[in-house]
Amino acid sequence: MNAEGALHLAVLTALAGPAALLVVLGVGSLAARRLPERVVARMTSLSMVVCVAGLALALGIYGVARLPPSLWVARQWFATGAEGLEFDLSLDGWSLSFALIAAVISGTVGAFSYRYLHREAGFQRYFTLFACFVLGILLVALAGSIEVLLAGWELLGLSSALLVAFFHERRSPVMNAMRVFGIYRVSDAAMLIAAVLLHHSAGSGNLSALLLAARPVSAAALEGAHFTAIALFLVVAMAAKSALLPFSGWLPRAMEGPTPSSAVYYGALSVHAGCYLLWRAEPLLEQSPAARLLVGALGLATALYATALARVQSDVKSSLSYATLTQVGIIAVEIALGLKVIAFVHLVGNACLRLVQFLSAPNVLQDLHGLERPAAATAGEAGPPSLWVFSLERGGVDTLVDRLVIAPFVKLAGLADRLDRRLAGERQPRADRPAEETGK
Amino acid sequence: MIALWCAVVLGAPALCVALAWTRLDVERLRSAGIVASAVMLCCASLALLVPELGDWSVAGGLLRVDALSTVLPALAAALWLFTVTVTPRMTLDRRSLQRIAAATTITTLMFLSVNPWALLAASVASVLNARGALKPVDGAPLKIDAYLVGSLALLTAGVVLATAPFARGTRFETVGLALIAAGALVRQGVAPFHAWLPAAFDHGRLGPAILFCAPQVGTYVLAVLVVPRAPAELLRVVAMVALVTSVYAAALALVQRSARRACGYLFMSQSSLVVAGLDCTSHEALTGGLVLWLSSSLAFVGLARCVLVLEARRGPLDLTRHHGGYERKPLLAVSFLLLGLSCTGFPGTLGFIGEELLLGGAVSDFPILGFLVVASGAFTGLAVLRMYFSLFCGARSEVVRLDLRAREAIGFAAMVTALLVSGLFPAPSVRSRAAASSLLLQLRTAPEGANAPGPAR
Repeated sequence: MNAEGALHLAVLTALAGPAALLVVLGVGSLAARRLPERVVARMTSLSMVVCVAGLALALGIYGVARLPPSLWVARQWFATGAEGLEFDLSLDGWSLSFALIAAVISGTVGAFSYRYLHREAGFQRYFTLFACFVLGILLVALAGSIEVLLAGWELLGLSSALLVAFFHERRSPVMNAMRVFGIYRVSDAAMLIAAVLLHHSAGSGNLSALLLAARPVSAAALEGAHFTAIALFLVVAMAAKSALLPFSGWLPRAMEGPTPSSAVYYGALSVHAGCYLLWRAEPLLEQSPAARLLVGALGLATALYATALARVQSDVKSSLSYATLTQVGIIAVEIALGLKVIAFVHLVGNACLRLVQFLSAPNVLQDLHGLERPAAATAGEAGPPSLWVFSLERGGVDTLVDRLVIAPFVKLAGLADRLDRRLAGERQPRADRPAEETGK
Repeated sequence: MIALWCAVVLGAPALCVALAWTRLDVERLRSAGIVASAVMLCCASLALLVPELGDWSVAGGLLRVDALSTVLPALAAALWLFTVTVTPRMTLDRRSLQRIAAATTITTLMFLSVNPWALLAASVASVLNARGALKPVDGAPLKIDAYLVGSLALLTAGVVLATAPFARGTRFETVGLALIAAGALVRQGVAPFHAWLPAAFDHGRLGPAILFCAPQVGTYVLAVLVVPRAPAELLRVVAMVALVTSVYAAALALVQRSARRACGYLFMSQSSLVVAGLDCTSHEALTGGLVLWLSSSLAFVGLARCVLVLEARRGPLDLTRHHGGYERKPLLAVSFLLLGLSCTGFPGTLGFIGEELLLGGAVSDFPILGFLVVASGAFTGLAVLRMYFSLFCGARSEVVRLDLRAREAIGFAAMVTALLVSGLFPAPSVRSRAAASSLLLQLRTAPEGANAPGPAR
């Protein structure tokens, strides 16, 4: 077997780890079999060890054999004439490094979670979603075609929303999960539109033109307007996933989930996935000044917004999440400025730091008998009173979304529903009006 | 061999219709239905494997299997098998089992024919079979009958006009095809002829409503009578209307209070996407529409049956409340979520493949409107997750028993597995539907009077 074959085998092995865990735990759920905690923990450990070892080996082979960056068609899903869908993986130093870091971080969180969630009713459900997350982030890291990227992107979104609603006996986590999922659907939709535009412009969903910085190829394949359109939709997808303005409202809501999942999603990996995507698509940004400007502006605004809000949070998880978001905004600015290496180092450093802070927060809270403080105690820390009030109200972002998007949508849908009922000859009883219209 | 195949595929459900008149008790009738539908499914699947069974025609096309219909009898059999397996005991009686078997016989006959008169007769029989069950059980004065009779009237007028010898190649033929399309759209619940569908789901008996809609026979009528012969402008109009409907219905599903009504809107959204795919006329969109037809039929039946199973145990389901129960029955919750995700085109399910192909093709044909497929998927995803949270999350209920019977558990697990496996290994499904798509496009370009399915044959 040559070096390239060994590299492919190592990467496949790494992906097989979380995929197998997902299948086993998923089949367990479908078969309504609750596996013992010890078995779930051991299977998770095994899959993460396989994953980390596979990626470390792959990175080693890539470095030692001095292989060039490549796009590997791992499998053709199907083909219909000229069209088809391929499972493409992009294998280069950056993608393998990010995948390895993601696997190490995930493995650490997995190990932490065994004890944290001991005797929790949803133990198995947590690790099923965890496997879903690990597979998703690896696919995002290694994606060589936009369909693979989309698959990873949607896996991240779904597992994230379901983990926010992990404590689903209470109403509030479920309502917040719904809100988080709503923003993620915006991100998924933007990504899907970018995928279709890329297909139509370049003739395939292959990301090599964007990711491997093969600019002559990409310039030949894509026209300027297409560059801008694809780039803008990618920016929207990234902004929604990374909680940049105006999508920042979901971040504090997402803290309803268990602390380990908050650590891995909103401290370490998921919130940085959008930045990583933009970082990879930097050649695309180079061709599209409008998108570059938008990334810079969003990043700067988000950094300022998040740093103000971080100072007035009354609980440690929200405070940490806004601190993370401040850095995410700065990373976006670095990407917009073309500082690729600095942005990558910043991204990895911030992910690792926040992971440690999130995971140690519960211990520190217990040791110090509570670090949480009333909002009033933060007065004066966020500058002038008007800024303090602005920060306490989270900049009114959620209120704006409610007023400008959700309320008109519900009103319009209510009207349409009444019309439909009338067309069907139904006299609508008051109690059976559309859900949100009744204010419930 | 073909005669034997036909005898089994059509005889199995017909036999169960006859058995319902005997003195067998309901559970035995159900068992007979399960065995007969399994035999029918195995036999119908042979058409996919044995080339001789996959392309034949008898009695001048009165019965026929071609690339389009190879998989459809198997779809009808799968829907029958799943329905008799998971329908709760309290909603099942002798008449229901007979109605289910009769619906399968009629649907299979439709799928095996391209003769416009045979399709019209089968449409009438299908409506008559379901009519009693679609009536509002709460006595609400609904106009469901008016819509369905209207659909049949449009179909009849269209078939008469389009098959009249004087109409061939004239404007009358186009008008006839437009009337057939309108009749099919009413049956599929495509706006603006859709109001009966959510109302029937909400006020009628849910089980029969699901089985009446899920095979999407209106789509079949469109595919064999309209798509091969209609002018491109007509198809474009139908596709645009269907694309708008898919978003409209998915958006309304998101704000419903009644789980039944939300199911009705979800079906509308899915069926509209299939219709849009069929009328886009590009190979990619047509293939996507045909793949989506299979995946949405199966996924929707599974999803709606989950609601029925829950309703049988809990009574009417209000989506503004959180009903709880995940811990008691994770299988049903997981099945609901995965079946719903398949409707939204989530990666790893067959719906993803169909939606990817449909989106690519739709954007080629409609550079702006094509993106409505994305909006529809986004709204459907939100609606499904909202339903999931409402139906399975919340404080634990110790009062309501949610335990599934073994046959129900096996039924749901098998349906989910089928959708996931066909989504992860989609090549056979896509190949089969791509062949059907090529056939339909070939028929569109075939010379006048060629051996094509449609009213002029």
